[in-house]
Amino acid sequence: MPPGNEYAAEQLKTQGNNHFKNGEYGEAETLYSQAVQKNSKNPLLFTNRANARLKLERWEGVIDDCLRSIELMRENMKGFFYLAQAQLAINHPNEALSSALMAYELCVSSRQQTSNAATISALVLKCKKAKWDIRERERIRRRADLLSDLEQKLEEGYKRTVSDLEDRVEAGEVGAVEGSEEKASLKTDFEKKVGDLRTAFALSDPEHLEKREVPDYLVDGITFEIMHDPVVTRNGRSYERATLIEHLKRNPTDPLTREPLRIEDLRPNIALKEACTEFMEKNEGWVYDCGDGEVDVNTRWAHLSSS
Amino acid sequence: MFASKRLGKELSKLQQNLPPGITLVEAENFSEWTMDIRVVDENPLYAGEIYRLKFSFSTSYPIEPPEVVFTQDDAHPIPWHPHIYSNGIICLDLLDRQGWSPVHNVESICISLQSMLTSNTKKERPPGDEDFVRYNKQRPRDISFVFHDNQV
Repeated sequence: MPPGNEYAAEQLKTQGNNHFKNGEYGEAETLYSQAVQKNSKNPLLFTNRANARLKLERWEGVIDDCLRSIELMRENMKGFFYLAQAQLAINHPNEALSSALMAYELCVSSRQQTSNAATISALVLKCKKAKWDIRERERIRRRADLLSDLEQKLEEGYKRTVSDLEDRVEAGEVGAVEGSEEKASLKTDFEKKVGDLRTAFALSDPEHLEKREVPDYLVDGITFEIMHDPVVTRNGRSYERATLIEHLKRNPTDPLTREPLRIEDLRPNIALKEACTEFMEKNEGWVYDCGDGEVDVNTRWAHLSSS
Repeated sequence: MFASKRLGKELSKLQQNLPPGITLVEAENFSEWTMDIRVVDENPLYAGEIYRLKFSFSTSYPIEPPEVVFTQDDAHPIPWHPHIYSNGIICLDLLDRQGWSPVHNVESICISLQSMLTSNTKKERPPGDEDFVRYNKQRPRDISFVFHDNQV
């Protein structure tokens, strides 16, 4: 690299950051690209450009940038974080989930625990939800096919009997009054069968039977939501890691006992985490949806606090 | 961040059941709620009266405490208490940044206020009430109260 290029790249990056702050993502992207041409060894240039491209919804570009940045620097929380969002946007929830989990892992193992954990944790949930949605759509489609096939069979049978009956009335084998009475009973019979069939399908769907409520022992006492990375405090209570850290940063005491509590004192509650995961696997769709009247204050793309 | 989600859950619980003497009056949004409380035992200071509370939540709730004040109108007086100013501002450690804990919620605050009233026997205002009410321009959450006695 010719001398001075590193400096030039840094200058371009600063200019790009200013445009980004003003919401001028196109301009920011151009400047980051110029910076990359001056210095292609700085992973931050790629993640910054990825972030701008995320805003511009240029997913492939985001993915390229993130992968290049990660190649230059393995421990790359932002890289994995933007990557996950782009993968989610192009509907690859499996890849998105593993990227998001990498970002989360890097975030909670970093020395300065920031509020990023909460943001990334929300993205992890979003990816899990996307995975669950695909599975669920597939399942409903298969079931719906079977149900409509069966309903069609019943209807064909019913129509055939009715037309037979009409033929016999026509031929004088059956009286007109008797014929219309029998027709009415055939109709009730058919409708009852369809009703029973639909009930049977509804009952065989465990979703309809299970009570849609998360057991209290899986719920974080601060957010009132199911935990996905519970940590245990010295008095044995568990909380969601990201939210408890938010509290401890302001007030380093145990929320219940008010005894001094430091972030370093927290231990993962592995068994509880597994219980939560299992519950989510079974019920994810609605567990995630039960944000009653949530107002999404975030704009479309999540952001990490600058570090 | 998660304030609206958490408040949504609190609201659906409040709509299902509430302890005696606590009622939800209005919760149209996730920034301001109105609750009514009354003292359920026979403390003559508070007999027959209903008090109205205004809760204001920031987006950092429940990491940050809500701002809680008594509000006054024809049907709702401000209760007498050596920790409650005549403009409705409450001096309670639980509502202070240092005394707050995110495991508290709207219901537990109402219960704490109920018991704060129940155990009181003095028909008094805090010392310096008149001056405080006249000159205070701060929002309750920015006032740093000195908690001189925890007995009341």
